[in-house]
Amino acid sequence: MPGLGARLGRGGATTTQQSLADSDCIVIMGSNMAENHPVGFRFVLTAKTRGATVIHVDPRFSRTSALADLHVPLRAGSDLAVLGGLINYVLNSERWNSDPFFREYVTHYTNAPVIINPDFRGPEDLAGLFSGYVADERRYTTDTWQYADQQARPAAAEDQAQTAEPRPQYLGRLTAPPRLDPTLQDPHCVFQLVKRHYARYTPEMVERVSGIPRDRFVRLAETILANSGRDRTTAFCYAVAWTQHTTGTQIISACALLQLLLGNIGRPGGGILALRGHATIQGSTDIPTLYNLLPGYLPMPMATELERDRTLEEYLRRNRPLTGAWYNTPAYLISLLKAWYGDAATPENDFGYDFLPKISGDASFQAMIPMMKDGIMKGLFCMGMNPAVGGQNAVLAREGLANLDWLVVRDVYEIETAAFWYDAPEVRAGKVRPQDIKTEVFFLPAALAGEKEGSFTNTQRLVQWHDKSIDPPGDARSEAWFLYHLGRRLKELYRGDDTAKGRQIAALTWDYPTEGPLQEPVIEAIVREINGYTVADGRLVPDFSALRDDGSTACGCWIYSGIMPEEGRNRAKSRRGDERAALEWGYSWPRNVRILYNRASADPQGRPWSERKKWIWWDAAAGRWTGYDVPDLPETKPPDYQPPEGAVGLDAHPGDAPFVNMADGRGWLFAASGLRDGPLPTHYEPWETPVGNPLYPEQPRSPAAILLERPDNRYHALGDPRFPYVLTTYRLTEHHTAGGMSRFVPWLAELQPQGFAEISPELARELGIDNGDWVVISTLRGEIEARALVTERMQPLEVDGRRIHQVGIPWHFGYSGIATGGIANDLSALVEDPNSRIHEAKAFTCNLRKGRLRSGAGEERRE
Amino acid sequence: MTAYERRWETRRGGGRSAGDEARESYYGLPVIHRAPWRWEIPTYFFLGGIAGASYVVAAIADLVGGREERPIVRVGRYVSLATLIPSPLLLIRDLGRPERFHHMLRIFKVRSPMSVGTWGLTVFGAFVTLSALIQAAEDGLLDRFPPLARLLRGLPRRLIAALGAGPALFVSGYTGVLLAATAVPFWTKNYLLMGPLFVASALSNASAAISLILSLAGRGDHRALRKLERLHWITSAGEALLLAAVRRNSGPTIARPLNEGRLGQVYRRGVLGAGLGLPMLLGAPGAWLGRRLPRGVTALAALLTLIGGALLRYLIVTAGHRSADDPQATFELTRARDR
Amino acid sequence: MSTTVARDRPGLTGTTGARPGAVGFLTDTTLCIGCKACEVACKQWNQLPMDELGFTGHSYDNTGDLGATTWRHVAFIERISDEEGRRPTSMRAFQSNWLMMSDVCKHCVYAGCMEACPTGAIIRTEFDTVVVQQDVCNGCGYCVPACPFGVIALDLGDGHARIGDGKAHKCTLCYDRLRDGLEPACAKACPTDSIQFGRVEDLMDRAQQRVATLREQGVAGAHIYGDRAVGGTGGIEGLNAFFILTAPPEVYNLPAQPELPQRKTIPASLATVAAGLVFGLAAVLSLRRR
Ligand SMILES: Nc1nc2c(c(=O)[nH]1)N[C@H]1C(S)=C(S)[C@@H](COP(=O)(O)OP(=O)(O)OC[C@H]3O[C@@H](n4cnc5c(=O)[nH]c(N)nc54)[C@H](O)[C@@H]3O)O[C@H]1N2
Ligand SMILES: Nc1nc2c(c(=O)[nH]1)N[C@H]1C(S)=C(S)[C@@H](COP(=O)(O)OP(=O)(O)OC[C@H]3O[C@@H](n4cnc5c(=O)[nH]c(N)nc54)[C@H](O)[C@@H]3O)O[C@H]1N2
Ligand code: SF4
Ligand code: SF4
Ligand code: SF4
Ligand code: SF4
Ligand code: SF4
Ligand SMILES: [Mo]
Repeated sequence: MPGLGARLGRGGATTTQQSLADSDCIVIMGSNMAENHPVGFRFVLTAKTRGATVIHVDPRFSRTSALADLHVPLRAGSDLAVLGGLINYVLNSERWNSDPFFREYVTHYTNAPVIINPDFRGPEDLAGLFSGYVADERRYTTDTWQYADQQARPAAAEDQAQTAEPRPQYLGRLTAPPRLDPTLQDPHCVFQLVKRHYARYTPEMVERVSGIPRDRFVRLAETILANSGRDRTTAFCYAVAWTQHTTGTQIISACALLQLLLGNIGRPGGGILALRGHATIQGSTDIPTLYNLLPGYLPMPMATELERDRTLEEYLRRNRPLTGAWYNTPAYLISLLKAWYGDAATPENDFGYDFLPKISGDASFQAMIPMMKDGIMKGLFCMGMNPAVGGQNAVLAREGLANLDWLVVRDVYEIETAAFWYDAPEVRAGKVRPQDIKTEVFFLPAALAGEKEGSFTNTQRLVQWHDKSIDPPGDARSEAWFLYHLGRRLKELYRGDDTAKGRQIAALTWDYPTEGPLQEPVIEAIVREINGYTVADGRLVPDFSALRDDGSTACGCWIYSGIMPEEGRNRAKSRRGDERAALEWGYSWPRNVRILYNRASADPQGRPWSERKKWIWWDAAAGRWTGYDVPDLPETKPPDYQPPEGAVGLDAHPGDAPFVNMADGRGWLFAASGLRDGPLPTHYEPWETPVGNPLYPEQPRSPAAILLERPDNRYHALGDPRFPYVLTTYRLTEHHTAGGMSRFVPWLAELQPQGFAEISPELARELGIDNGDWVVISTLRGEIEARALVTERMQPLEVDGRRIHQVGIPWHFGYSGIATGGIANDLSALVEDPNSRIHEAKAFTCNLRKGRLRSGAGEERRE
Repeated sequence: MTAYERRWETRRGGGRSAGDEARESYYGLPVIHRAPWRWEIPTYFFLGGIAGASYVVAAIADLVGGREERPIVRVGRYVSLATLIPSPLLLIRDLGRPERFHHMLRIFKVRSPMSVGTWGLTVFGAFVTLSALIQAAEDGLLDRFPPLARLLRGLPRRLIAALGAGPALFVSGYTGVLLAATAVPFWTKNYLLMGPLFVASALSNASAAISLILSLAGRGDHRALRKLERLHWITSAGEALLLAAVRRNSGPTIARPLNEGRLGQVYRRGVLGAGLGLPMLLGAPGAWLGRRLPRGVTALAALLTLIGGALLRYLIVTAGHRSADDPQATFELTRARDR
Repeated sequence: MSTTVARDRPGLTGTTGARPGAVGFLTDTTLCIGCKACEVACKQWNQLPMDELGFTGHSYDNTGDLGATTWRHVAFIERISDEEGRRPTSMRAFQSNWLMMSDVCKHCVYAGCMEACPTGAIIRTEFDTVVVQQDVCNGCGYCVPACPFGVIALDLGDGHARIGDGKAHKCTLCYDRLRDGLEPACAKACPTDSIQFGRVEDLMDRAQQRVATLREQGVAGAHIYGDRAVGGTGGIEGLNAFFILTAPPEVYNLPAQPELPQRKTIPASLATVAAGLVFGLAAVLSLRRR
């Protein structure tokens, strides 16, 4: 989540779902919270019973809208224009300019007063682009985006490289304290840049782009404004309807910008709740399944032309800022290396730094799909995912699978990805014959959550333990079992092998104890390693402040350090709740902080902004921060602390700096680094769009979006009349993602038994479609059939004088299981956000007609 | 065809939405559940009604009639037994768990017409059997078992008939109460009419059945037959009046099944026309003018009545199902009255 | 459809004839998000089979109805646009325009199903709930049309093949869980406390307060369904599982003022006896010796 990381310092929800109960206004935008996060939604309803206003901004009227006070329908893909409009509205509002709270919050806690390099130019001046654009590489160089007056920067190549890969944790390197203008008047100060940048996002412009009528937009803005301030807080909740755009990261980062301006970050009932996906998707980025991160958001070393991390020293030089929490990067990385390589990690060999793999290019899943098709990638472990349904351009994904040498699918049912070679629509239609597919498919049964112990890290960074209830059936085994024994056998296999590969495998510590007849590895032994210990005596460390860069400590993931602070105390297991922060319920990284950046819940002097919204405050008598939550800054740092000359790390931050991971401790309205497509969020249209971009007519679409255009992944031209409708895909409460966990379960399958497309009665009338009719939806990637659900919950919008129809398709369905239907992703394309490498599944274009597919491809087996 | 599929047929040429479909009622789905009964139940209503009523006719003929009414008594008793025998079998067959039929006799529950009905049927069964046995003994059919025949002949026949007439009348009419005590709009809306309708119909069917047999067999005094025809005519007339009252009392929404479609035809042409009007027309000269009708005409009138009686049971049960399936009927029935 | 808006009837609204100590449900539709967790939790706990599959097009309701194998059912009613097709933007404070309601057996204070049952299979438990004893029911089916709410049903499979167990089924109010001191599965699973379990008296108090609050907040149509004024009428005397609705009951496919069917038994019997006498007399007159 670089969108939050780049402005606030950490890529995680800044608040907890429980804290929503303290909100005065909750804006759910980019998510269908009631349907996809029903349990968290109870806190929205609690807030509502206490009188809060709930707003849902969504193209469709959903189950969330039904419980909202205000539903604001917009054209899919226009969120950034709306957020930009809100920023502009706020900055010019009477309330914002008259209430001293906002100015005080913004000047102290954000980089609004910071002076930026005067060479910086924005889209106002450069026809929709920022300065530093390298057109033929579709990327930016960022020298002009930096704070003014910083010392000469490292070598040019490295400097350029800095943003060639998303580095959420690398949040600027300051060689000197930033130059400030507390009056916010300097034309080069962030505040003025922001103001100028958003000046054209007027309510009229918002209406032209998004289809939200002016008066409704003003109501939205006024409600948010009225519910922000010293005594009131507004929270934003979003999920993948913001991330799945070519500008996804920037949409989220625009929200961070707005919430900083409104003084809503770090305070109860405020903040940005990133509603995450799978049960432990947060955990899977913390201790990542991502190719470009090491545990705890340490960047993976690079081995590309532009970026070189040949040695530990080189790596640290690039990745260790002098100021802020990341100053301790060496301790975190070296402790990680000690945990992974044990005795093989010595000061002499840079603690085994060479054993770490280095990345040589894009290895995100999206990039892997064409690589499989092209024969570059020969084999695939598919453990807990279903790309034949969930992957963008699923037709291409299945072609990729069909071109592998081998495929291992570990799942609980024989999902589409395992059955594609005999059951896919193209096979049923006779276009592909099973005997022509050479892929050897291994299907291995997996144990489900209840059949193994472990933990989930939920949407609010809260690690919660779950016990094992029953043994897995038959040959089903846990992931830990599979990976542990696979690793063990590999070590066996490579014993005595003296190649680099062999030595790499040999160096790995792989000695978890096992238990029971199935020889399951002991999960708490892994938790122990994650928490960290001193190498000499194996004693657990209390938290990451005890980690050292001399090889004396080992730690599997520094941000989780503290989860098992002493033997036998697994804090993920604790289950004592209370009405406030519930610090004894589970364990929340970092250091059990619940609301991140909570220093901002107090004024610069350390007093609560108001009685109603108090959270943590400075207890002068005790000389420490106190309150309901764990303070998210050094506990004894006084509010009036000023860093001495040459201070490093957190000591370089003053006592009123809430954003401890940022180089200057401030929330960044202007992201000098960390984002690949601009320091200020800018509205670009989705890659496929029926309309132009009135904000930047010369630059309608993202200049940095990652394109993978090829004959099997074709895009629709801007405004292509053959594909006049906006298509968006989304989820239903009744199913889960690509369906492996729901479409095979009778009790869930019966609730939504068949794929369908939601269309408005207006569009239905134009095309002669009645509720329940069959329709065919098509793009240049593929076509599917579905039942039409004609509903007033969908509505056409007036966009820039044109009536735009939107089509909505739940994307859960596939050809296996009990509930079946056409695969929505047979329609989508591979095109990505440059920061997060997330695909654009939330807004593209399509055609739709009444009728069925001729070939029978995509046809359900059950009617 | 499930309730859901119905609507895919009614096309309007585009734009009809899910919201439109829930405007008049909840997607046209029923509010209540119809009774899960199959053909066995209306058949039982028909046969059981005849069993009860022919016992009544036989008993009355026995008690107030003279010698020439003896054939009526005799045939009435046999008809009663013959139509009673399949009744429990039909009822058991209709059960979801036939092997548990005896659970009906676990308790006696005054509030449940079905429970009371079961007991009534059981008691009635004893009387029918006894009376039929006595008749058989008198007819010399049991001469192979002299002590038994003697014993039976010695029993107080008329007392038994008098005692059995109560349960018999009950059996012919309780089924109407059974239907009335449900939430089914068509049945419960007409709660005061269902029982009388069933009684009237049972008596008319029973007299028709007896006269059919007598006329086919060429037995019986023609004066007795005239009497029977008169009873047949009166009860048919009562039935026709009650049916008309049912339709009127139901009101347009709840009476919809009687007015529409195939069932409407069954009501008008089948039950009212062929089952009631025609036999009454055919029977009137005999019943009221004392004419001696050709046997064939009497038999035809009786047969038509019996068909009409079967159709009536089918009609009442099916119309009940239809009204149960029609949300508007339930809304009509349960509309807030006092607000 | 024939609908009526609730009006206060002083002294009657909010009253229930529930027996002291009875437990039941308050299902507050204004908090329902239509997640169907209750439906699934019920099926799972009671190990009920999947129903007939099919896309209905009835908004998000593909279950349709309560039945022998569906004991909780969430209804969805889209009332989005006005006559001109205009969509709402600002809405009532709680659940508007897309109504969702989790229906269940009402555990009537006087229950039609139970009164009807000839075998005594349906009993009132120590919790004052209405439960079918599966070892007694013989599938006579009489309880089915005797329920004024269309709840109980026979499990006959598809109705022709009779592949079901042939017995009557409905919500047991999780009798087995209550015995073990657990809350019913559906209430436990409900994420928003739309389903609240407890003593009927307490729930009724809570419901009255909630309705008052909702009306203050402008939800004019909020009312209790299941007291003696609406729903629990006509001799039913109240529903132990009652509801807060915001639209007329008919909108949710509920009868506004149903009656206890057995109220008709005595008058219907008297009428039948009278008819028996009249027609009996006709028979006597017809058949008497002359
Ligand atoms: N029941 C259930 N819960 C789930 C999941 C599930 O599959 N089923 N999946 C989990 C996972 S993996 C994830 S990532 C989360 C996702 O949670 P959400 O992000 O809430 O999921 P979606 O349903 O994909 O999209 C949400 C909404 O975005 C709207 N939308 C589409 N395009 C746009 C747009 O351009 N702008 C705005 N503002 N809105 C738009 C859609 O109409 C839809 O209502 O849910 C998690 N929770
Ligand atoms: N068009 C479109 N496409 C999308 C999205 C969208 O909104 N629109 N959303 C995207 C998002 S946010 C996501 S998260 C992805 C999800 O896409 P995928 O991750 O590909 O899909 P899932 O169905 O979640 O796959 C998880 C699989 O893991 C299996 N499983 C469950 N538990 C275990 C276990 O313990 N072990 C193992 N080995 N397997 C297990 C499940 O049965 C299931 O098949 O889809 C993406 N695709
Ligand atoms: S499925 Fe799990 S994670 Fe998702 S809302 Fe329900 S309880 Fe929460
Ligand atoms: S709602 Fe129906 S099934 Fe439930 S107790 Fe009342 S009458 Fe019986
Ligand atoms: S079906 Fe079972 S529960 Fe219903 S009335 Fe008959 S015996 Fe009683
Ligand atoms: S109380 Fe139990 S049986 Fe009744 S609906 Fe809820 S979960 Fe199902
Ligand atoms: S579980 Fe609760 S919120 Fe979900 S559908 Fe059922 S009653 Fe409504
Ligand atoms: Mo996700």
